[in-house]
Amino acid sequence: MNPVLAEIYSTILPSAPFIIAAYALMWLVLLIYVVMVVRGLKKTEAQMSILEEQVAELRAQKH
Amino acid sequence: MANAKKSHALPEGGQWPDAIAFWAVLAGAVLTTIGFLMAFLYAGPVNGASVDGMPEMIGGQMVSSKLLLSQKIFYFHMPVAIVSFGALAFAGYYSVRFLMTKNQRYDTCAKVAMEISLIFVVCTMITGDLWTRFEWGVWWTWDPRLTTYLILMLIIIAYFVLRGFIDEPERRSIYSAVVSIIALVDVPICLMITRMIPSSIHPVVLREGGMTGDMGMTVGVCMIGMILLGFGMYRLRFRQVRLAQRVQALKDELEEN
Repeated sequence: MNPVLAEIYSTILPSAPFIIAAYALMWLVLLIYVVMVVRGLKKTEAQMSILEEQVAELRAQKH
Repeated sequence: MANAKKSHALPEGGQWPDAIAFWAVLAGAVLTTIGFLMAFLYAGPVNGASVDGMPEMIGGQMVSSKLLLSQKIFYFHMPVAIVSFGALAFAGYYSVRFLMTKNQRYDTCAKVAMEISLIFVVCTMITGDLWTRFEWGVWWTWDPRLTTYLILMLIIIAYFVLRGFIDEPERRSIYSAVVSIIALVDVPICLMITRMIPSSIHPVVLREGGMTGDMGMTVGVCMIGMILLGFGMYRLRFRQVRLAQRVQALKDELEEN
């Protein structure tokens, strides 16, 4: 085998854990952030609809 | 009329970018997944740094350089770093706008942009550090690029620490805007440092012969994916923060009545 290719192939196994860790951790960070934001958004939207109902009730009472 | 026009130009949750934010995140996820597959299945393993300074015939091709498997980290490392710089540019812009107008909305925009930049800076650090550990055998080295990027990360962390310590909204926004602009000043230094200090051991794509078509295509797909992800994440978070502010304002109003 060509010595350059042989050198490249010889690094595959030792470097694999670092490459897998790099991709996995990066995806994890992005995923956790997106999940946190989407959950927070849904929670805030629910709070907003409850508040809007309360405001509507108060307005109805005033009239 | 002029006031109406001004308030219309102010960034707000529910504007047209929010309609595409979710799809941008989805498209970003799809494109980065395609980019990931391209990095391993499409981009060749042999082309990049020099092969004993001389081109060599490998697999019927004249190859002037070789890339080890660890180089696959580059396809995501560079795009996340660029998105972190982009988010900082937006944060800097909104900070300047805040200092000019004293409108809290711009402070909110800058805060969210800084948050996005921190997420991408962390991703850059993770990918870069794992590459460094394998290629250079150390977890950290005081290379100029690494050092300036670490300073950038520390400035961003300092931004959030500062925000947590100051209670008065206006003072908090002014100090935060200044820190955000300082972070932006570090961006071109960080970008150009490998050119200004040639002894830097951080790889530079152009200095080392540029990218071949397959590498360029792969990094391009990852870059578009990451930009879409960054944009979508920014808009989703901005919408959430604005909604939370409105909920708080409504609660305060209800309590007063």
